[in-house]
Amino acid sequence: MVYEALDFYDIDSLLTEEERMVRDMVRDWVEDRVLPNIEDACRDGVFPDEWRAEIGEMGILGAPLKGYGCPGLSYIAYGLICQELERGDSGVRSFASVQGSLAMYPIWDFGSEEQKEKYLPGMAKGDLVGCFGLTEPDYGSNPGDMITRAEDKGDHFLLNGAKMWITNGTIADLAIVWAKLEGDIRGFIVEKGDEGFSAPEMKGKHSLKASVTSELVFQDCKIPKDRMLPSVKGLRGPFSCLNNARFGISWGAVGAAQSCFNSAREYALSRIQFGHPIASFQLVQNKLSWMLREITKGQLLAYHIGKKKDDGSWIPEQISLAKMNNVDMALEIARMSRDIHGANGILDEYPVMRHMANLESVKTYEGTHDIHNLILGRHITGIQSFTREP
Amino acid sequence: MGVAVLLKQVPDTTAKISISGGKVDESSIAKWAISPYDEYALESAIQLKESGFGDVVAITCGPSRAAKCLTEAAAVGADRLIHILTESTLDSIQVQSLLSASVKETGCDLVMCGKQAADTNSGSTGPGLASTLGFSFVGGVTRVSVNGGLASATRLGPSGLEEVEVGGPCVFTFDKGESELRRPNVRGIMMAKKKPIDSLSPEDLGVNGTNSLVIIKDHSSPPEKQPGQKFIGSESIPEVVEKLREEANVI
Amino acid sequence: MSTTVISESNNGILHPVTAQLVGAASSLGGPITVICPGGVGSSDAAKISGVTKVISVEGECFETYDCSAWSKSLSPLIEGDLILSSSSAIGRELISSISATKGIPVVQDVTSLKDGFSATRTIYSGKAIEEVSISSPCAISLRPNSFESAEGGGSAEISTVNVSQEVAVAVKRALAKASERLDVSEAEIIISGGRGMGEPANFSHLNEIADVLGAAVGASRAAVDTWEEIPHSMQVGQTGKTVTPNLYIAVGISGAIQHLAGMRSSKFILAINKDPEAPIFGVADYGIVSTWEDALPALKDQLAELLSN
Repeated sequence: MVYEALDFYDIDSLLTEEERMVRDMVRDWVEDRVLPNIEDACRDGVFPDEWRAEIGEMGILGAPLKGYGCPGLSYIAYGLICQELERGDSGVRSFASVQGSLAMYPIWDFGSEEQKEKYLPGMAKGDLVGCFGLTEPDYGSNPGDMITRAEDKGDHFLLNGAKMWITNGTIADLAIVWAKLEGDIRGFIVEKGDEGFSAPEMKGKHSLKASVTSELVFQDCKIPKDRMLPSVKGLRGPFSCLNNARFGISWGAVGAAQSCFNSAREYALSRIQFGHPIASFQLVQNKLSWMLREITKGQLLAYHIGKKKDDGSWIPEQISLAKMNNVDMALEIARMSRDIHGANGILDEYPVMRHMANLESVKTYEGTHDIHNLILGRHITGIQSFTREP
Repeated sequence: MGVAVLLKQVPDTTAKISISGGKVDESSIAKWAISPYDEYALESAIQLKESGFGDVVAITCGPSRAAKCLTEAAAVGADRLIHILTESTLDSIQVQSLLSASVKETGCDLVMCGKQAADTNSGSTGPGLASTLGFSFVGGVTRVSVNGGLASATRLGPSGLEEVEVGGPCVFTFDKGESELRRPNVRGIMMAKKKPIDSLSPEDLGVNGTNSLVIIKDHSSPPEKQPGQKFIGSESIPEVVEKLREEANVI
Repeated sequence: MSTTVISESNNGILHPVTAQLVGAASSLGGPITVICPGGVGSSDAAKISGVTKVISVEGECFETYDCSAWSKSLSPLIEGDLILSSSSAIGRELISSISATKGIPVVQDVTSLKDGFSATRTIYSGKAIEEVSISSPCAISLRPNSFESAEGGGSAEISTVNVSQEVAVAVKRALAKASERLDVSEAEIIISGGRGMGEPANFSHLNEIADVLGAAVGASRAAVDTWEEIPHSMQVGQTGKTVTPNLYIAVGISGAIQHLAGMRSSKFILAINKDPEAPIFGVADYGIVSTWEDALPALKDQLAELLSN
């Protein structure tokens, strides 16, 4: 059956032709390439390299960035790309989010002209893979207290420290690493093969199994002076990257939820119990109707924040709301969909358990659900409650 | 020089078809797409262009929604886009006279299309158009290459897979081709969006309006499946095989 | 009302569908001319009851198949209100070309035909049925096995016409007969095995039947997961391929909901399973309760015999 993405409020009619074409291109790719192979990739715990190459060929990496070989699409188009990729798997969307929003974006916004010329064209094509090192083993929600340090040694910088939970780390050609230089957080570009740099893969995940997650280790890692991002200082650097990634996640979560809804609807219509399809039972209909309601609200949130990203009128708290709400909604829908599938829901014949497990990570990364609540709490009251200090 | 590729927009082959009031309800069709065999024709035409043959002119005949398949063709490399805008259902003669006038206007002497469209599954257009244009015709090909004035093609002929050669103007209809279809990319989509579509009415092409000689009276859903018949033991096999042929018509 | 039937041939003999075309023409009344490209089967065509005359068209151009050359040779000899052909690949091409030459419309792959004419055909790969009306003169191709064959016992006069027509499409060489096994997603007939086949080597029995039918061989997920020899590419079902062949034969497949999801839209389903309660029988048009060991050899013999006729 042709995939009919849930679109109860006809968001489709608000899109430009270009946005629809980009969406359909990614949707077709996911159907042809991701869906038939995702369970194998998860079992093997790999992100297939041909997916990297094909995503690169589609030209969707760094979607909203302009110039330097970047696509220059709208934020709505970027959102749609995330939605379709995550309908396939959150791990595939993570690859694109990290590459575009967390690695290309800081170079594009804070990099020198030479840095942009050197990295962005290859990254847009997927020939160069980037990762983003902010979180540390002991500093997750509180990145400001990071331990990783950079020292100015005259003709080079020396990095020491470790980063953890780094998507794409082991397969990356370059890492955007946030480290303290004389007390200020600065961004550095570390290349694969730099002396004193290693990126061992973290194994044993029950979530995002088709995505590479790594540690980044810096032991007297020596990098040239021209690898610091010149035009940003402080947490504003990593946070502006995260805003873009979180925006993409708010759309991606809709894609995962649409996938779970579709599977639940189809299953409920074909599963016969007590002589009737379970879709004819009121408790099942109640669940399906709840899913439709929540997805529709999530779509409207995502679309509207997309419009605001495009016209520049957004504030970060609005992105926090969209990320937090939509991931929470998608996770609940995945659980409910699993419930409708009965025991079959735990099988990899159906995408729901995989989405459910993935979404646990998505709920936690790029600002946990709770942290986004605190961001909104501060916005509402004017009182920050992240720390005990005033 | 150049290749005219004829594209028909059809419901995606996996789309549900619903019928209301004795007519297929087009508004319920979830996805429209280029007819699959036509996509192989398009791919082959683009490959010819890449090997130094002329431009690819994509032509579709249909209502305004069909313009989308031209933009999709442009996104993978079609150079010129022609939309013969017709809202009503046409018979084979009407379709062929419109396409023939349009192909003549382009000056293309190679024409490629699918061996049949996925909606009607007729397969009248390719061979009929060849007759109308006075071109040669090779049907059901999986590959076409051009060397000098000669085109060579692989087809499934009456005696198996064979390679044929043909000179001069020719219409080829495609089966599932040997090459993998290329995917569009963002760059292609952005260029396609800027590419103008020549939207032509039958009058623009000098084809006078005639009435279709084939009138659609009714659409209906196929009969509901009968409850299955059960047979016990392998001794029933002759009977079942007989039924497969006589009752089910599937072998 | 007069009809010209373009005869269909296969390996140098008249194809039985020709008698069906004559049968359909007879039901409409009027004289029936059968035209035989290359003269193939003209004496057999003359024996079909109801045929008024047979035109055997002979010439060098019929040695290989060039649709345009055949069409140009046949068209001048075709008259009447209705032209009929089979909806085989060549039948469709020829009738399209001839009808275009004559400037008359063609309707393809018709499954029933009434006076006047009202024709029925399936569209959207069988998802809908279309009824059209056409006025003569017109051309119609008929789907094989949809019309009653005319009986034998006729004795129509045969006239031979020699034509000389330039051939534009030259056959350079025959390529290796492509007998690579079909992929399930492309095949019109699929025979699939499940874990009930006992061991992967037993899939050879399915292969043999597939060879007879020109079918693809598929498998259930249980079979693919259990046996390394059965590749994922053969898997039909929720996580495998979704297929809609004309005929799906399920052997030793119980019919888990995941498998049904991939094949229940097949036009016709034949299930063979030794368990009379297997869910696969719930979606099958014909179900045979039998072990595959008993059923498959008999099935193969019956099919081979039927298809060799």
